[in-house]
Amino acid sequence: MSRRRRIVTGARVRRLVQLVFLLVFFGWVLLARPVSPAEPHPWFKLGFLLDPLILIFTWVAAHAVPLVLLFSLVVIGVTLVMGRVFCGWVCPLGTIHDVAGRGFDRLQRNPKRRDRWSRWQLTKYFVLVGFLAMAVFGVHWICVFDPLVLFYRTTTTVLLPGAQWAVEESSTAAFHSDPGTVRDWLMAVTEPVYDFTGDHVFVVKQQAFLGAGLIALVFVVLLVLNAYRRRFWCRYLCPLGALLGVFAWRPLLRRAIDKETCNQCDLCAMRCHGAAAAESGDRWKPSECLGCLNCTESCNRDSSRFHLAWPWRKEPTTESVDLSLRAALGAAVGGLIALPLMRLSPQSRGKRFHPLLIRPPGAREEREFLKRCTSCGLCMKVCPTGGLQPAVSEAGLEGLWTPRLVPRLGYCEYDCTLCSQVCPTEAIRPLGVEEKHQTKIGLAAFDTTRCIPYAYGRECMVCEEHCPVPDKAIYFIEAEVVDRDGMTKTVKQPHVDPDLCIGCGVCENKCPYADRPAIRVSSANETRNPDNQPILPGGDIY
Amino acid sequence: MSRLSRRDFVVRSAAGAAALGAGNLLGSGALAAEEGAAMAIARWGGAQPGADGIDAAAVKLTEQAVAGIGGMKRFVGNGDVVWVKPNIAWDRTPELAANTNPDVVATVVRLCLEAGAKTVKVGDHTCNVATATYQSSGIAEAARRAGAEVVHVDPLRFRETAVKGERFDALKLYPEMLECDLLVNVPIVKHHGLATATLCMKNLMGLMDDRRRYHQALPDMLTDLTRFVKPRISILDGVRILTRGGPRGGNPEDVAVKMTVAAGVDVVALDAFGAELMGKKLDEVPSIGKAQAAELGTADYRSLSPREMNVS
Repeated sequence: MSRRRRIVTGARVRRLVQLVFLLVFFGWVLLARPVSPAEPHPWFKLGFLLDPLILIFTWVAAHAVPLVLLFSLVVIGVTLVMGRVFCGWVCPLGTIHDVAGRGFDRLQRNPKRRDRWSRWQLTKYFVLVGFLAMAVFGVHWICVFDPLVLFYRTTTTVLLPGAQWAVEESSTAAFHSDPGTVRDWLMAVTEPVYDFTGDHVFVVKQQAFLGAGLIALVFVVLLVLNAYRRRFWCRYLCPLGALLGVFAWRPLLRRAIDKETCNQCDLCAMRCHGAAAAESGDRWKPSECLGCLNCTESCNRDSSRFHLAWPWRKEPTTESVDLSLRAALGAAVGGLIALPLMRLSPQSRGKRFHPLLIRPPGAREEREFLKRCTSCGLCMKVCPTGGLQPAVSEAGLEGLWTPRLVPRLGYCEYDCTLCSQVCPTEAIRPLGVEEKHQTKIGLAAFDTTRCIPYAYGRECMVCEEHCPVPDKAIYFIEAEVVDRDGMTKTVKQPHVDPDLCIGCGVCENKCPYADRPAIRVSSANETRNPDNQPILPGGDIY
Repeated sequence: MSRLSRRDFVVRSAAGAAALGAGNLLGSGALAAEEGAAMAIARWGGAQPGADGIDAAAVKLTEQAVAGIGGMKRFVGNGDVVWVKPNIAWDRTPELAANTNPDVVATVVRLCLEAGAKTVKVGDHTCNVATATYQSSGIAEAARRAGAEVVHVDPLRFRETAVKGERFDALKLYPEMLECDLLVNVPIVKHHGLATATLCMKNLMGLMDDRRRYHQALPDMLTDLTRFVKPRISILDGVRILTRGGPRGGNPEDVAVKMTVAAGVDVVALDAFGAELMGKKLDEVPSIGKAQAAELGTADYRSLSPREMNVS
């Protein structure tokens, strides 16, 4: 037992780099906030520009990509040289799985690592090929499960709102507690925390998202799967990992065992992140290797080493993952068979529209929108009113977690075009403010059985007050009403002008009803879907 | 009573603190505080200024109006914390007259600091997104340049406050504004679809949260709110006024350049003057009559013999 202790090992450097990248990625999520609606920072979408999965699937599904996404070819280039180091060193979701795995190492008495190559690891490649076949027909759905998208969406809708709620609610509770009790010394702690996090971490007001529980559940399940196999997600499921695995088929950086010194102790295989080692650790599948360097670190005899080799040089211990052409074709056919599953909801077949599916201004026609949207949640993160919410059922399975405006929770700010500026795939086209003012996303309608001037003959007009259209899409007419004693009085009753209403929803948002507003916006008249425009423009009132 | 006991306690301690503050003020500058007119109106007497000249004129008008009621020293004690409360409601530029003129606000800030204020905070409970509204209104930048601390209202920090009004027992108000030594009310003269005009009393709604439902009873609510807040000084911005499509506006054609700033201690009189400036009869703005009936001031502002000044 004369193991040499080294302070600086490759794996330690890798862990440090992972930590830095994890913090950078969290910082990136925090960065995207609606501080100055006029100028979204170009870095808001930076992380997604690293993602070749989004590039390739958007290109196949929509036959067009924003040119900035070509930046992700850098990651493919790195993968061709060094294998899946993006997965092992950079990916924030991968790092989170590492941390979860280390947690389970301590919890589980006999850690079930099973760190040998399993044929089930091919699953991710089959899924990738199957969805690539579907993408030809415009299905972009796999990007919903892209790791960076998953990370971004989960952080935006679950982790960050949860943390902010906890910090702000607790210090607000202290603020509102009785003076003369524990309030003073409690606030001596809570107020500095509240001020600091408010000024430098959260900055914007709390957001909350419908159906965030489902997003949280997916995340928790993925974390718990580490109890069965470490980095379960990365080994078996991750579509980006599969894509990079294809490009890591024969990288320049290769691992080999020095047979002279190796005593086949298996330590390297036991600690392998990607289960890239077949047999007793002396074989190596570069498509599964995450470059974590645990094998070199764990080897007591320095037998596991990386070296450089030209791509045309085959090495006997370097193995491919054996994805046969037959199996790949089978996966593609499977994808085509599954295609109708994506189009089961009535709205996905055109002509019928969900009234609550109010897309942000600039969103493309629904079919084109779904060919591009990854449900990353960036638009929801930057929405200054918090009105953009992940759709759960409104857009069908294919539109899971895609953005919709829920005016009750937040309206579309008249001069704001942030969501359209930040969309990495331009599912929401970039709009200028003038064009945005002309873009209808829905139509407001009064519920006169609830609207206060109609139903109860009292003044209100909050909706008219907030209507941002300069000529006022909500106007009022003075009407005589009779009270229960037979007395008449005049009240101002509001009406909607369908030619002017852009569906921003500020009326619904500001309506005094806190449960079901008396003016509600539906997707009718939306500019993007000509078949969803029941009201002909320019007509006279009868 | 038992239900409200905690709130009562909070409010009473706040009121006690405020009373102490007022006592201090009375001790130091009480005699000076009684000097000066109750109201002053500064009108532009020179040639109609161009678009650039309006800003410079707004500064002079504000200075003169405040001087006309005895100067800011009458209200600000040495080392006071002052909250200047303009109307910063809408994401609109100053030319659209949906928010108080930034130069009026900046001048008020400067006058407060010159009068000895330790800190001057500027902030309002906006209707649109605060960051955008503070920016496009031009007020944040102008106030900051004048030396103010620009404060964003924190929606979590409103506090149910016992106002013990005629109609409303409690309203959700913003403690930081109430607890300042002085609240300077700086509204703009604007049309309002429901209230017909929004002036000094309506501007106090910026202290409130959950405002929507009170539109059913604006005059009652404004009367209860004004009685509780008791603004000691209001400066009414009539440089540009919004004549139609208010309170949010958006059409440049609806803006009239009136080149007038009025200052005073009586919000009802100032509101009556503002209504007149808009060409409205007093009974068209119900809150004015309501507040006069509640003895919060007089709608006959001429009875206060306001100092009228021509500024050029």
